[in-house]
Amino acid sequence: MTLTICIGSSCHLKGSKQVAKTFERLISEHNLKDQINFYATFCMGNCQNGISTSLDGVVYSVTPETAEAFFEKEVLSRIGK
Amino acid sequence: MIERLYADIGYRSLCKNGEFVCGDHIERLERPDGSTVLVLADGLGSGVKACILSTLTSTIISRMIAENLPISYCVHAIAEALPVCSMRKLAYSTFTVITITPTGMTYVIQYDNPSVLLFRDGKEVPLSFVQMTVDGKTIESVSFQMYKGDVLLAYSDGAEHSGIGPNMGYSLGWSRKNVAEFMAPLCCAGYSAKTINSIFLNECARRYDGKPGDDTTALTVYMRTHEQVNLMIGPPANMEDNEKMLSLFFARTGKHIVCGGTTSRITSEFLGKPLMVSLDYLDDDIPPTGSIEGVDLVTEGVITINRVLQYARDYLKNNDSYVTWCNRKDGASLISRMLFEEATSINFFVGRAVNPAHQNPDLPITFSIKMQLIRELSECLKAMGKSVRVNYF
Repeated sequence: MTLTICIGSSCHLKGSKQVAKTFERLISEHNLKDQINFYATFCMGNCQNGISTSLDGVVYSVTPETAEAFFEKEVLSRIGK
Repeated sequence: MIERLYADIGYRSLCKNGEFVCGDHIERLERPDGSTVLVLADGLGSGVKACILSTLTSTIISRMIAENLPISYCVHAIAEALPVCSMRKLAYSTFTVITITPTGMTYVIQYDNPSVLLFRDGKEVPLSFVQMTVDGKTIESVSFQMYKGDVLLAYSDGAEHSGIGPNMGYSLGWSRKNVAEFMAPLCCAGYSAKTINSIFLNECARRYDGKPGDDTTALTVYMRTHEQVNLMIGPPANMEDNEKMLSLFFARTGKHIVCGGTTSRITSEFLGKPLMVSLDYLDDDIPPTGSIEGVDLVTEGVITINRVLQYARDYLKNNDSYVTWCNRKDGASLISRMLFEEATSINFFVGRAVNPAHQNPDLPITFSIKMQLIRELSECLKAMGKSVRVNYF
């Protein structure tokens, strides 16, 4: 599974750093390093709806507050945890 | 063929403690043949009176030397022009004139200022001055060739006297020999002229315990080769121009910096190499950098450049933020080092595409901000003595 987070100008200002840190923490807590390919990307062209996150090519919007819930709902459910 | 060299020049003054105006003055002139004339003048006394004397002296002499007038003429003209101090019945300003041609041929004329110091390969090179007398004044002169890596340091007597005073611990001041010993190892480390000059002045300030007893001015010339850095930011207004902008950008010699998300993406497509983006936040406020094979540096756009502009403004003032950007690896620090320290000429490639995603009133990023940033940054870089070209697409 591929999870990307936009660190472009506008998502950065909206707090993509916190979201990235949350994802990194959750990936490590759930021991998913081998199953999730997590990386950053510059502007995804979806600034209005940022912070942009994409899961296997499907774009989602998250905020630092919703990052953990998003991870549990979308990421963990797909992996079957 | 004789290599054309670039004279990297840095200078700054410390005001005498309690004074608001510096009595030393530095004047810099570029001649049409590409040579540079520099004058360091130290007016009698301190404060406004000294400032007027040194400003007049350096302005007059730099222009006369630039016109190739003989030194005796210049000295005579200054003696005639300076207002006489009502208290001391004297009109007096010491000076050092340095003329450097584009090939590094250097001519120094000095009157009553501490002698200039030349450093090569980490050692002081002795200079043989010739003396002459003009209107009863002893003028010294010397000409020599400066080579790549050479450093020339000139300073006012405030530096020589640094540390003299009760409880300062340096009753003899800072002798030429000790200055040479202190500076020699610093002059072969690849630091920019401005940095070498700051190290020297900071040491003077330290010896004065932060309260200079006299106006203290230093001028550093660092001979180096021309280095070009090219920076591209923003995709072109018209998408059909992508290819043209990118081809022209990569056709330039020197280093290449690509700033901006969309700009990095079209660069990656143009080069056929993947764009990798790091997740390492080396500075909380600056987005991580990226990398593309064939590009020296890939960064985010406006936030990073905005920080570079802050560093550039500070560089032109007292350069306090140098300690921040001189060794960090975040995008803004990396760009600052390449533009302020390495580059002698800079080409900006600015794309005028409006990012539709940024046209949101909630976002503090607008098209006009990007244009404004580049305009201000190029002004700062020009003020640093670099040649700057901005190409719009």
